[in-house]
Amino acid sequence: MNTRPLRTLVLAALALGLAACSGSKNPDSANASAPGSTPPASDSAAPATRDNTAEIQAYYAAHPEFFVFKTPADLPANLTWEDGSDLPELGSPERKRGGTFQGRIQDFPRTLRPVGPDSNSGFRGFILDENALSLGQLHPDVPGPHRFFPGLATSWAVDLPAKTVYVRLDPAARWSDGPPVTTADFLFSFWFFQGKYIQAPWYNNYYGIGETYTRITRYDDHTFAVTLAQSRPDLLSRVLGLGPKPAHFYRELGDDYVTRYNWRFEPTTGPWVISDAELKRTTTARNYIVLSRLENWWANDKRQFRYRYNPAALHLRVIRETTKAWEAFLLGELDAFGMNLAEYNYERLPDAHPLVTRGLIQKATFFNDVPRPNYGLWMNTAKPPLDDLNVRLGIQFASSWQLVIDQFFRGDYTRLHTSNQGYGDMSHPTLRGRPFDVAQAREHFARAGYTIPGPDGILRKPDGTRLAVTITTGYEALAPVLTILQQEARKAGLDFQVEILDASAAWKKVQEKNHQITFSAFGIGVELYPRYWETHHGINAYDQPYAADGLTPNPARKPKVQTNNLESIALPELDALITRYDKSDNLDEMRVMAHRMEELLYANASFSPGFALPFFRTATWRWVNFPSGHAFRFSGDAFEYGTHWLDETKKPETLSALRDETKTFPPSVKIHDQWKPKD
Amino acid sequence: MPVRLNPITVKKLRRFRALRRGFWSFVLLSGLIVFTLFAELFINSRALVVRHESRWFFPAYGDVIPGETFGLGYPWETDYRQLRERLRTDPAARARGDFALLAAIPYNPTENCYPGQFFRARPPDLAQRHLLGTDTQNRDILGRLVYGFRQALIFSLWFVLGSYLLGILIGCAMGYYGGTFDLVFQRLIEIWSNVPFLYVVIIIASLVRPSLGWLVAINIAFGWMGMTYYMRTGTLKEMARDYVASARVLGAGDTRIILRHILPNTAATLVTFVPFTVAGAIGSLTALDFLGFGLPVPTPSWGELLRQGTQNLTTAPWIVLSAVTAMTLVLTLVTFVGEAIREAFDPRTFTTYQ
Repeated sequence: MNTRPLRTLVLAALALGLAACSGSKNPDSANASAPGSTPPASDSAAPATRDNTAEIQAYYAAHPEFFVFKTPADLPANLTWEDGSDLPELGSPERKRGGTFQGRIQDFPRTLRPVGPDSNSGFRGFILDENALSLGQLHPDVPGPHRFFPGLATSWAVDLPAKTVYVRLDPAARWSDGPPVTTADFLFSFWFFQGKYIQAPWYNNYYGIGETYTRITRYDDHTFAVTLAQSRPDLLSRVLGLGPKPAHFYRELGDDYVTRYNWRFEPTTGPWVISDAELKRTTTARNYIVLSRLENWWANDKRQFRYRYNPAALHLRVIRETTKAWEAFLLGELDAFGMNLAEYNYERLPDAHPLVTRGLIQKATFFNDVPRPNYGLWMNTAKPPLDDLNVRLGIQFASSWQLVIDQFFRGDYTRLHTSNQGYGDMSHPTLRGRPFDVAQAREHFARAGYTIPGPDGILRKPDGTRLAVTITTGYEALAPVLTILQQEARKAGLDFQVEILDASAAWKKVQEKNHQITFSAFGIGVELYPRYWETHHGINAYDQPYAADGLTPNPARKPKVQTNNLESIALPELDALITRYDKSDNLDEMRVMAHRMEELLYANASFSPGFALPFFRTATWRWVNFPSGHAFRFSGDAFEYGTHWLDETKKPETLSALRDETKTFPPSVKIHDQWKPKD
Repeated sequence: MPVRLNPITVKKLRRFRALRRGFWSFVLLSGLIVFTLFAELFINSRALVVRHESRWFFPAYGDVIPGETFGLGYPWETDYRQLRERLRTDPAARARGDFALLAAIPYNPTENCYPGQFFRARPPDLAQRHLLGTDTQNRDILGRLVYGFRQALIFSLWFVLGSYLLGILIGCAMGYYGGTFDLVFQRLIEIWSNVPFLYVVIIIASLVRPSLGWLVAINIAFGWMGMTYYMRTGTLKEMARDYVASARVLGAGDTRIILRHILPNTAATLVTFVPFTVAGAIGSLTALDFLGFGLPVPTPSWGELLRQGTQNLTTAPWIVLSAVTAMTLVLTLVTFVGEAIREAFDPRTFTTYQ
């Protein structure tokens, strides 16, 4: 008995450590069940045990309304073709090709499949999101409305009334294993995403027949059209964002997709590939993985691509702990490190740090203009006491966000004002988050009946009910934020009880609407206008939100679970606006509606807007270069567009300067504020 | 009525006193425990005594006193450091003899000690009375250590009580009843011992907000088994003695025999295990806090300090130094006490075999 608890713990910790080691170094056990030995598709030794060509053709035939086959003669004549050729070119002609970029991943990927179970990891970015080309790409560095430049397409034409985008593919486009990219691969991608083999319900739903897209029409091998369910202002981005799937690679696709394709590298249209030799190596050594650049990539000399994706290889080391990765970066073993956290930027590597002043490490801040993750307090209005507007208003005034920004984020962050910020003029121009104001908070709490200060300083109702609400969150790293809010709220007589759970457990609780308040945020990609239906429509709050008259709340309504309406908000006027907004094809009309909706939400006071980061920061060793004067309006990552290049000739002198403190280079601490939001 | 001690116990206690290392460790540890129980008198943001306009206040152990009471013009809790400054500098207050007496370290363990300044671990600063510096959230490390120690003590107290109660009851019953009951429980214990304790705690802690009660309950659920072995063998041994047989002949029931006859004769050995269990419990709690599955924020805890320390080894070494030193000190003291108890209570010292 005596030392048992301690010993059990130590043993368990040891076991954890061992498990961690085996994950990175000795994959035999982990790999035994996964078909790591399945040869890559390009290996001729792999017998094609299955051929789904007939099945696919039958599927096309069974859905003639979705898969339409026409001839080039059927193309409408009066189309206006665009190709984005007037956009400035990305990257710099000064760039050097070659070198190995030293990067870090937190875990070895659990699969190389880009879709299906376990695929939505950080590694997906390297093989899909920041690699494979879509039809067109959003240009990250021009003002005004969203503009696209060609990727796999050479040109496109929009027919708004018909909700259709016509696309001409680049005949030069090739898969990394050789075959050309054709219309067939796009038709195939819809079969791929609509089918059950991939075990990915989100894709089934989004690409489902009649959901987002209603038709794909083939004209010839390099011309097709995609028709959408609704005519919306961002119609073009929904088509140009499409990427093909290699039909020849997935000929064996069937029920065993998840295991059969687990460790095969899907041929890509992008520059980065995992070679067969590398795949073989990683079956026995999983402490790193290397992506190499295709030497004869088809887009090598294309405009917008000739100065990009410059390194010859990406070497991604598995480093689980952030602090360990930091040490590796300081030794020059990693080329770059994200410096968004104040602690790293001001304590660990301040601008006055010798490595920076001696010019060995360069720092850069890039202001961007993207939808901000809406960090804040989401109050569930279905749960008392938050069903009382005065309590919600009181909480708004009792939440000391500015102090959080000043103390925890050291003034780097800015105050968030609405839950949809960063959509340019679609975001509300004048609404401001309510300030911390004890007097106003107490006044609202008094109106809600909390008038008597208790012995612990927390307000009470005359019947003894304490003014206490629980904040549920899965953000363990942001615990100090909640500590500050908790301490300050006491001044207003409010008791915030903080409940920090495992991220998925917290989200489950919130999705089941069992929370009072949740401190969370939705991460949002670059979009033209905010969405409201998921988060604010009454149908996502309650099963039957309103009584027969459609206006008054239904007394017997039950919260609807598994939706993103975290505030359980159900306002008839808002619902009507959302419905009109979601059908509108006129951005000006939508802007007016969006502003009106934000005003309604502001009056409802159920979201206390927290903070937003208007930029991202990086630290890079001096052999990593960026085009001068470049910026990223629509990105949160300096490496996403692949405009950087490496100058490995600088590496030996830099690393020797690490030990020789007399050597210095010109320092570089840059702030790129072209896209700094005006606030 | 004076407590009459068993002469053997008196002998054991005398022997314990004679073991100097263990005895002084015991004294020191007791001192630390007493200190942490009355920590509010030494480390506290609330004043101990305030005299304001001829009225006396003792805020340290009482209700929240709003700032308005002292004419500070706000309805939330008084900032006593501010009050002290005001009473010192205000001539009228001085004339009245008003004063505020604060604790030696005028901060509480969850408070941001540098209001208005950003979060940064600060090194020890005697002028500000941060004897061990502050952690990454501007909180006084000494305060967090002392109040964290209190949490660990409360935790281990409940853990020892709970796991011993369960272990003794089940162990005695196993030894006393024997047969199928014993066999079934032995197998159950073997299976239960092999459940990976840490994983279960992690799973539970990620699903609910772990309070002290929860943590104690989980730890007891996985910590009672070891005790049963000793109790079972002890009971089996005592069962064979004549006095148990005679009690049975006299008509005593099972409960009476177990509780009145067997237990007092076996329980003495248990005392020797207690210090080690306490050390284990403190270690468990610290480990859980270290991994982030322990007490809810912002409760002071050693594990949380250790975690901060390891994350800031180079930028703020004073955090990890304080936490490691405190932990080493306490665990060493407990172990010394444990060794001394074991030696003092060793039955071989009092009996000789011929």
